[in-house]
Amino acid sequence: MKKVIVACGSGVATSQTVASKVKKLLDQKGIQAQVEAVDIKSLDTFIKDCAVYIAITKPAKQYPVPVCNGIAFLTGVGMENELQKVIEALRS
Amino acid sequence: MATLQSWIEFILALGAPVFVPFIMIVVGLFARMKLKEAVSAALTLGVAFIGMNIVVGFMMDSMGPAARSFAQNTGIQLNIIDGGWTSLATLAWAWPLAFFMFPLQLGLNILMLITKQTNTLNVDLWNVWGKILTAVLVLGVSGSIPLAFIVAGLQVILELKLGDVNQKHIYRLTQIPGVTSTHSMTLFGIILYPLNRLFDYIPGLNKHIDANWLKEKIGVFAENHVMGFIIGGLLGLFASYSLQETLLLGVQAAASLTLFPMVAKLFMQALAPLSDAVSEFMRRRFSGRELHIGLDWPIMAGCNEIWVTAIVLVPVTLLLAAVLPGNNILPFAGIINLSLAVPALIVTGGNLLRMILLGLVTTPVFLYIATYFAPIITNLARQTNALDVPAGQMISWSTLEYPVYRYIFTQVAAGSLLGIVGAIVWLGLFSWYVKDMKKRAQAMADDQL
Repeated sequence: MKKVIVACGSGVATSQTVASKVKKLLDQKGIQAQVEAVDIKSLDTFIKDCAVYIAITKPAKQYPVPVCNGIAFLTGVGMENELQKVIEALRS
Repeated sequence: MATLQSWIEFILALGAPVFVPFIMIVVGLFARMKLKEAVSAALTLGVAFIGMNIVVGFMMDSMGPAARSFAQNTGIQLNIIDGGWTSLATLAWAWPLAFFMFPLQLGLNILMLITKQTNTLNVDLWNVWGKILTAVLVLGVSGSIPLAFIVAGLQVILELKLGDVNQKHIYRLTQIPGVTSTHSMTLFGIILYPLNRLFDYIPGLNKHIDANWLKEKIGVFAENHVMGFIIGGLLGLFASYSLQETLLLGVQAAASLTLFPMVAKLFMQALAPLSDAVSEFMRRRFSGRELHIGLDWPIMAGCNEIWVTAIVLVPVTLLLAAVLPGNNILPFAGIINLSLAVPALIVTGGNLLRMILLGLVTTPVFLYIATYFAPIITNLARQTNALDVPAGQMISWSTLEYPVYRYIFTQVAAGSLLGIVGAIVWLGLFSWYVKDMKKRAQAMADDQL
């Protein structure tokens, strides 16, 4: 199964909020994926085997996978758009 | 009525891993979750408690004897083990009245928005636990439930005010529009602000240092397993353990630090549907108005100054813990001091030199207040069966968030005169912070014109 990762400062709170939400939204659309909250300090390890990275912060560098905006899932602003990006990344 | 009361007493006596899930089912159904979902979330919460219990027990079993051996060997008494924020969050959620903090935070936020006292809509329902912990500490010191809720309520109001004031500063640092941080750790900025002003008199402190480059070089040390291994190994060394024992302690310590967030995540998984429903409700309620959305601090986690500051402070914290007279805490799970680094980032506008200096100056404050609260925290852990703390050992959090606010206001609740004087000074500093940070935000806006 393809993997989505969400990173925040501890891999516990913010990232898990977003991860739970994305998982729910994907389930509703019938899309199978593993959504995992991770610690941003270990991001380089986790990014190697994921299909898409949802960032809570403004990403400072280039990553080998598509990066989506996690703030949208917290505020609700532009959420559909970001969800589409996640879905496209999972399909490709 | 008597049977109801004996039922409640019966459930409470089962301890947090059983009674908190009971509360969760009731709250979940009240928030219109399906029965199946509510039961699943409640069980996950119970699993989180048991999981944290196992990891804390494991940490105490491996670190405790090493700390005793360290004391015998060096003469330095560090008999309080640092369980970090995840342990304290477990303790907070174990309070039977914890869930009442949700309506308190929501109610105060709505009231302040309606009366235009704030422009911040706090949708970060996870960090309700910070207010719960404050309440629990007030209760532990003063024994008064009303005072516990009053001090926590004050904190809700203050963090919204800081959300307003810090918004432009956070935007400048993160470039994320429309959001701010309502995490109460910003309360420590009140103490940092005057110090940062003093630093204006020291030449050379406005020099810019590239944190990104440093983060690339030393970032690996901040990873949980690496940090755990180093601290465990150091402890073993100074406890004059054999090489085998030292290496084993290192890996055990690495395991504790790695497992803490993995298990703590379960709390969030259990609470996510609830917090989702509530934040949705709040957003809909105020959809017509231009508001700053209050989020948890990691929106700033991309600012590498935070990580570099926290890593640089690790050896400093360990050294100070060993040499400061009266400090009894052995820094471990809480050693990455975000409680300092995040407010320091906001107050200095991301000046790395100043952030590190602020950390050097205030680390003793964190250690002493963590030592002060240790017996209270240990007591609460035993009362609620939330954490497994062996007899003769104590647990605390070396980098307790906003230690000064919590210390002063628990003293006020206990009726101490010194506490009341402290609170007046603190509130004075708060209004100074608000006034000056507003001015600075205005100056930044003018610069851009």
